[in-house]
Amino acid sequence: MLKAVNRTIGSASIGTAAEGKRADVRSGKAVLRKALRAVLQVINVAGMLGLVLVFAMPFVWMISTSLKTLPETMIFPPVWIPENFVWQNYADAWNTGPFLSYFVNSVVIAVGILILQMLTIIPASFAFARYKFKGSGFLFGIVMVTLMIPAQLIFLPVYLELSAFKLLNTHLGLILPFASSAFGIFLLRQAFMQISDELIEAARLDQAAEWKIIVQIMVPMVKPVLVTFALFSFIAHWNDYFWPLVMTTNETARTLPLGIAKIRDVEGVATWNTLMAGNLILVAPILVVFFLSQRQIIKAFVYNGVK
Amino acid sequence: MTLWHKLRPYGMVAPAIIIFSLFFIYPIFYMMYLSLFDWNFVSPTKTYVGLQNFADLLADEDFRKVLSNTTIYTVLTVTLTTGLALLLALWLNRKSFFHGFVQGAIFSPHIISLVSISLLWSWLMDPEYGLLNWVIGLAGFEKLQWLSHPGTSLVSLVMVAVWKGLGYNALVFIAGLQSIPADIYEAASLDRSKPWTTFSKLILPMLSPTIFFLVIINMIGSFQVFETIAIMTQGGPVNSTSTLVYYIYEYGFRFFKIGYASASGVILLVIVGILTIIYFKLLSNRVHYR
Amino acid sequence: MAKIELKNISKKFKDDTVIQNLNLTIKDGSFTVLVGPSGCGKSTTLRMVAGLEKQSDGEIWIDDTCVNDTPPGMRDVAMVFQNYALYPTMSVRGNIEFGLKNRGVARGERDKLVKDISEIVGLTPHLDKKPQNLSGGQRQRVALARAMVKQPKVFILDEPLSNLDAKLRNQMRTELIQLHKRLGTTFVYVTHDQVEAMSMGDEIVVMNKGVIQQADSPMKLYHDPENLFTAEFIGTPAMNTMQMRDAQGLDIQASVGIGYVGFRPEQALINAGPDSEGYTVEGEILTRESLGAEQIYQIQSRSGVFFVKTFLAPVVTADHVKVTIPYEHLYYFGLSGERLRSGVQANRKQLATVGGI
Repeated sequence: MLKAVNRTIGSASIGTAAEGKRADVRSGKAVLRKALRAVLQVINVAGMLGLVLVFAMPFVWMISTSLKTLPETMIFPPVWIPENFVWQNYADAWNTGPFLSYFVNSVVIAVGILILQMLTIIPASFAFARYKFKGSGFLFGIVMVTLMIPAQLIFLPVYLELSAFKLLNTHLGLILPFASSAFGIFLLRQAFMQISDELIEAARLDQAAEWKIIVQIMVPMVKPVLVTFALFSFIAHWNDYFWPLVMTTNETARTLPLGIAKIRDVEGVATWNTLMAGNLILVAPILVVFFLSQRQIIKAFVYNGVK
Repeated sequence: MTLWHKLRPYGMVAPAIIIFSLFFIYPIFYMMYLSLFDWNFVSPTKTYVGLQNFADLLADEDFRKVLSNTTIYTVLTVTLTTGLALLLALWLNRKSFFHGFVQGAIFSPHIISLVSISLLWSWLMDPEYGLLNWVIGLAGFEKLQWLSHPGTSLVSLVMVAVWKGLGYNALVFIAGLQSIPADIYEAASLDRSKPWTTFSKLILPMLSPTIFFLVIINMIGSFQVFETIAIMTQGGPVNSTSTLVYYIYEYGFRFFKIGYASASGVILLVIVGILTIIYFKLLSNRVHYR
Repeated sequence: MAKIELKNISKKFKDDTVIQNLNLTIKDGSFTVLVGPSGCGKSTTLRMVAGLEKQSDGEIWIDDTCVNDTPPGMRDVAMVFQNYALYPTMSVRGNIEFGLKNRGVARGERDKLVKDISEIVGLTPHLDKKPQNLSGGQRQRVALARAMVKQPKVFILDEPLSNLDAKLRNQMRTELIQLHKRLGTTFVYVTHDQVEAMSMGDEIVVMNKGVIQQADSPMKLYHDPENLFTAEFIGTPAMNTMQMRDAQGLDIQASVGIGYVGFRPEQALINAGPDSEGYTVEGEILTRESLGAEQIYQIQSRSGVFFVKTFLAPVVTADHVKVTIPYEHLYYFGLSGERLRSGVQANRKQLATVGGI
């Protein structure tokens, strides 16, 4: 009995000594691990900053170039901050063509498309989501097929069509083909279908007329999807180069992206400073909007991808 | 049920359906019809030539070059964009202000007009005074000709496309990663799963719908590339960057060979059609199982 | 206030007949509960009264008007939905007054009504909140207020308490009963929970497979079920029933064919003294549920498994027990489940102890 106690005490004391040593080793390892983690953290942050650089540098370079004199653009190695800011480049860019008209055209077309899309997709997607009617399957089939056809593919026949309607070189010709959006109907129909039947029934018991149910209850409920789609549509059509290029020949009907691209063709020598100034005129509004509502825009685009 | 109630849904879908029929459905058939004719757009008569346009196309050296350019461009762009985006997503998938900032930065090219991006990169890739040549000069390499040399032009365009699409793809991946419930990771760590096993056996399979989705939409997008080519290379040098849509554009609007251009349009339609059908199969599954 | 009459109502969904030839009168000012297992047609019946579903055949009368062709908004009924169906884009006030606005009630009167109602249901501090920012109980109150403010002839409630937790559900149950007393309006209430039905309704309609099994007061339902279904549906635990041929040792004289015999768990006596008369079964206690005031035993006997409930009695610790059911508490049912009220007579034997193990 006594022996046993002794042994326990003995082993206990040995135990503590060993534990103490182990604890030393452990704390040494812990320090090492902590240091390693700190180094990794630094590499991680540095890597991310590098990544930002790869994506932000071109924009910075664009701004820098847009404020240089022409000879300054040709200095090698390059200068990041020009000696004098040449704001004149912006005026020069603006004066290479009828930029006011380009700008107005861009706004009219992007906004016009957006308004018409809203007017056509809301009722259509509501009907597809909420009413049973003969032929709805076939009609929705048309929407799905349209969704699958990129406009880039059928520009030739549409060009011939618009020329037959005498709509080339007009705002209407640039707006009308996009006056509705299969993608929008697809998204919105999905959203309308997710609203519970009970809600509509409650409104019917509240003696609400059908249009009132749509306008006052259903549309406010799908507002996030509408905002998403609106952002998506506006940015896409504001940026569009292909369609106006194909459907217009006349300067008076052309849009900002075409005007900017044209600066390049004006003279034989590439005047990169003017070109980048013009480019900024096109990019700045979008970038400003992006920085103001970054989260919303990212959500809009990624949501369209994920859902 | 009054007559008004019966007609109401038709009235509601009519505007959209009319627009679609006029500007999407009818043009497809019109294009197929045109592909069977020889027509220069100005002359009042169209000459019926049957499938001659298709035969000519497939025999045309240039068209084959265009097809191969488009394919190489697509394969490179899609694999690089999707692959790099997945790596970036795994790296950046954290919710903090700094991570949000980085995500925003890499996403920003996605909403910029392709015109701006093309012009900007033409300048960055300028063989004489471009920033890129300065950077690779600093690293001790020789200057590249970038867009001005047939050997590097197509790859340069791929680079621009990857730069533009990377952020968007990475963010879609991040959204996919975040939709994986956290308790799966917890269960895996309780089962003492190694990080690589967790990734390859759990995360990757659960991300596979997202991967397919991105591969397909990237492919559809790449097959239709036009803007960067029109602005940066005009298909040159020596046809090294001419792709399908650019080819159709040139034949339609420069050479006025409407039938010929329509025939190549039909071929592109078939390619894109197959891809989109696969895409919508996937999309409808995603919508149903979410 | 209104009386509701359903005359020869049938409802078909495509080729599926959900309700066949249903006749029901809901008394003016009553709290009528439609109860039954899911898919029995109770919700469909309710929705037809509201006008949200159109019957395939038959007539619905509210007071002295046939409302077959009256749209839901014009029937003067208000409904509380299972998931409340609050308009998420409107504030609490907006939700409550939406129906009034649609009826063209003037602003001043509207404000007064909203104010009164929200005081009754205790929503006054929350009027400008959105429904998403309310708790489950508060949402329930908004749904009630939205129905009440229209001062309808009929209140229709479709499983309104099923989304609440147990404690809140009990509280709302009491509140609804009080509300009914206060308003005196006809309430039609649907639930699948017979306890809820029994505790709330003054008139209960038991439905199964689209057919009304019995429409009666709670006490009548409990003590005097019309058929096997009602007997087995009402009560916690439900009535014990067995096929007649399994009821060994029960010696009865009958002028009609007996299919089933049943007894309520709380009528059976465990290890009763020798002087108590009745049908006696022996068995093993499988489980004991002690709920404090009452105990529930699950007993395995030769005649099958059944439940016995005792009140304020010490827990029976023995495994092997003798269960006696007084003859007057035995219920007899015909071969197709109909209740047999007469023509059955048990042969009273002092020691009819059979079935022991």
